[in-house]
Amino acid sequence: MNEIIQAVFQAIELIVELDPKLIQITKLSLYISLTATLIGSLIAIPIGGIIYYYEFRGKRTLVNLIQTLYSVPTVIVGLFLFLLISQQGPLGFLRLLFTPTGMIIGQILLILPLLIGLTITSLVGVSTQIRELAISLGASTYQTIITIIKEARYAIMGTVILGFGRAISEVGVAILIGGNIRGFTRTFTTAISLETSRGNLVLSIALGFILLSLSLIVNLLLNYLQGKD
Amino acid sequence: MHIIELDEIYKNYGKLQVLKNINLQIEKGTSTALVGPTGSGKTIMLRLIDLLEKPSSGTIYFEGTDANGSNNTRLDIRRQIGMVFQKPLAFKASVYDNIAYGLKIRGQKENMDRKIKELLELIDLPGYENRNALKLSGGETQRLALARAMITDPKLLLLDEPTANLDPISKKKLEELILKINRESETTIIMTTHDLLQGQKLADRMVILYNGQVLQSGTPNQIFRTPKNRFVADFIGIENIMCGTIENSSNGLVKIKTDLITVFAVTEKEGKVHFAIRPDEITISREKVQTSARNTIQGNVNEIIDTGSLIKLLVDAGEIFTVFITRESLSELNISTGTSIWLYFKASAVHVF
Repeated sequence: MNEIIQAVFQAIELIVELDPKLIQITKLSLYISLTATLIGSLIAIPIGGIIYYYEFRGKRTLVNLIQTLYSVPTVIVGLFLFLLISQQGPLGFLRLLFTPTGMIIGQILLILPLLIGLTITSLVGVSTQIRELAISLGASTYQTIITIIKEARYAIMGTVILGFGRAISEVGVAILIGGNIRGFTRTFTTAISLETSRGNLVLSIALGFILLSLSLIVNLLLNYLQGKD
Repeated sequence: MHIIELDEIYKNYGKLQVLKNINLQIEKGTSTALVGPTGSGKTIMLRLIDLLEKPSSGTIYFEGTDANGSNNTRLDIRRQIGMVFQKPLAFKASVYDNIAYGLKIRGQKENMDRKIKELLELIDLPGYENRNALKLSGGETQRLALARAMITDPKLLLLDEPTANLDPISKKKLEELILKINRESETTIIMTTHDLLQGQKLADRMVILYNGQVLQSGTPNQIFRTPKNRFVADFIGIENIMCGTIENSSNGLVKIKTDLITVFAVTEKEGKVHFAIRPDEITISREKVQTSARNTIQGNVNEIIDTGSLIKLLVDAGEIFTVFITRESLSELNISTGTSIWLYFKASAVHVF
C-alpha cells in the first residue's frame, strides 16, 4: 500500500517537473486523436446532414447499423485495419502500419459511426418548423442543411467532443496499428499498459492522471455545451 | 396578370381530403384573408402557395408560371414569396442574423445594415440588432418574423394566423403593422385567420373556407351583407336567421311566411328560403309609431344581456329576434324582462338567401 502512495506522489512530481517522456507521450496522443477527431468530423457532419435530410429506402436500417457500430470493440477496428494495411494486405503498399498516420486512420474509422450517428440525432432534434422556416425564406437544399447544422451547433460540438473522448482513450487501434514504438507511436493508453506490466507504476499513474484530467475537461465542456442548448 | 392562381387544387393526406377543388385568383397588390374555422384548410392552402408542399392534383401558377416545375423553378418562385408562420419562430442567432437570413442566402449583402436598421424601427424594436432572438417575447418574435420575411421585398407576403398566439396588445401592434405594409408597399398579402373581424379589418377581400372548400369570396362588405348560405351566415355571426316560404311576389317586394310570422322583403327568389335581419337594422319603441319601415312586429322582451358595450335584447315576436340597444335607451325606454315592445325594419334590410 505504501508503495502505491509513494508512486502517486512520484507521479505528481513527474507531472509538475514536466518530465520529457511524459510530455512526448502527451503531445503525440493529443496530435493523433485531435487530428482523427478533426478529419472524422469533417467527414461525418456532412454525411450526417445528408442522411438526415433525405428520405430514402433503408434509411432506418442504415441508422440502426451506424448506431450499432458506436460500441464496436476497438481491437476489432484495429484488427480490421491491420489486415488491410499489413504487408500482405490489399493496402500494404501504403506502408501505414506502425505509423501515426495509420493510427489516425484507425481512430477515424473507430469514431466515424459515433460522429455520424450523433450528428443525425442532433439534427433530428431541430424542429421541422425551423427547417421549413429556412426553406420558406428561400434557402436551397444545401443552405437548409447548413442552417440546420448551425441550429444544432452545440449538440454537434458535444458530438465532436464525445468522439475525441473515445479516440484518446482507446487502446485497440493504438496497440495493433501503432505498435507502441517509443517516441514514435507510443500513446497514453499503450504506454500505461506497457509500463504497468513492467512494474513501472509511477509513469503509469502520471499518465493516468493526465488522461483522467483530459476526460474531466472533455466532460466539463460537454456539460457546458449541453447547458447552452 | 394574377400573382397567384389556384386551378382545381385538391390535397389529400392518405384518405383524408383536406382541400377540394379550390379555384382562386389573387390580384397583385391586394390583401386577401382566408377565413374559416380550425381545420377548414386555410393553413394548408398557404403552405401550397409557399410551395412547401405540393397539391395532390391541380396547378398553382405564380405570375403565370406553373409552380410545379423543377426544384430550381420552385426555389426561384419561393424566393419571391415571404411567409410568417403561426407559431413565433426564430433561428438560434441574434436578431440581426435572423432578419439578415433571406439576404445572406440570396447573396444580396449591400446596404444590409441600413435595411435591417430601418426594419427594426418599423417593427418597433430599434437597437435590438445584437439581442438573442430566442429571448424575445412571442409578440416581438412575430414582428421579427415579419421583418425577416419582408427584408427581401417579396412580391407576395403570406401570413398564417400571425396573431393567433399573441396577447391583445401584441396583436393590435401586429395588425397595425400589417395594415401599414399593405398601404405603403406594393406587396400582395394573403393571410389566414379564424377571426372574421380581423379579416374584415386587414383585407380587401375575404375567402370563406369550410371543410376544404371555398364557400364564398368577396369584399368583407359583400360577405357581411349577403352571405351566400346558412353556414356563412352562421359563421360570420349574423343573428336573426329564419326560414320561410315566399308568397305574393310583385315588383320584387315579397311576403315571406315562417310558421309563426310574416315578413316583407325584397328579393327575386322563390319558394323556400332562409332570410336574416342584422340586429343593427332593427329599431324599437314602446308604443307603436308610424315609420317608413315595411315590417312592424310586436313582441315581449325575453332576456336582457349586457355585452359590455351594448345591451342585447332577445325579443319573442313569434320568432325570437335579437336586437341591440344602448344602455341609455334601455333605461330611457324603461325596458325589463316581459316588457312589450315594437320592432321595425325595412323590407330591404331582410337579406334573403
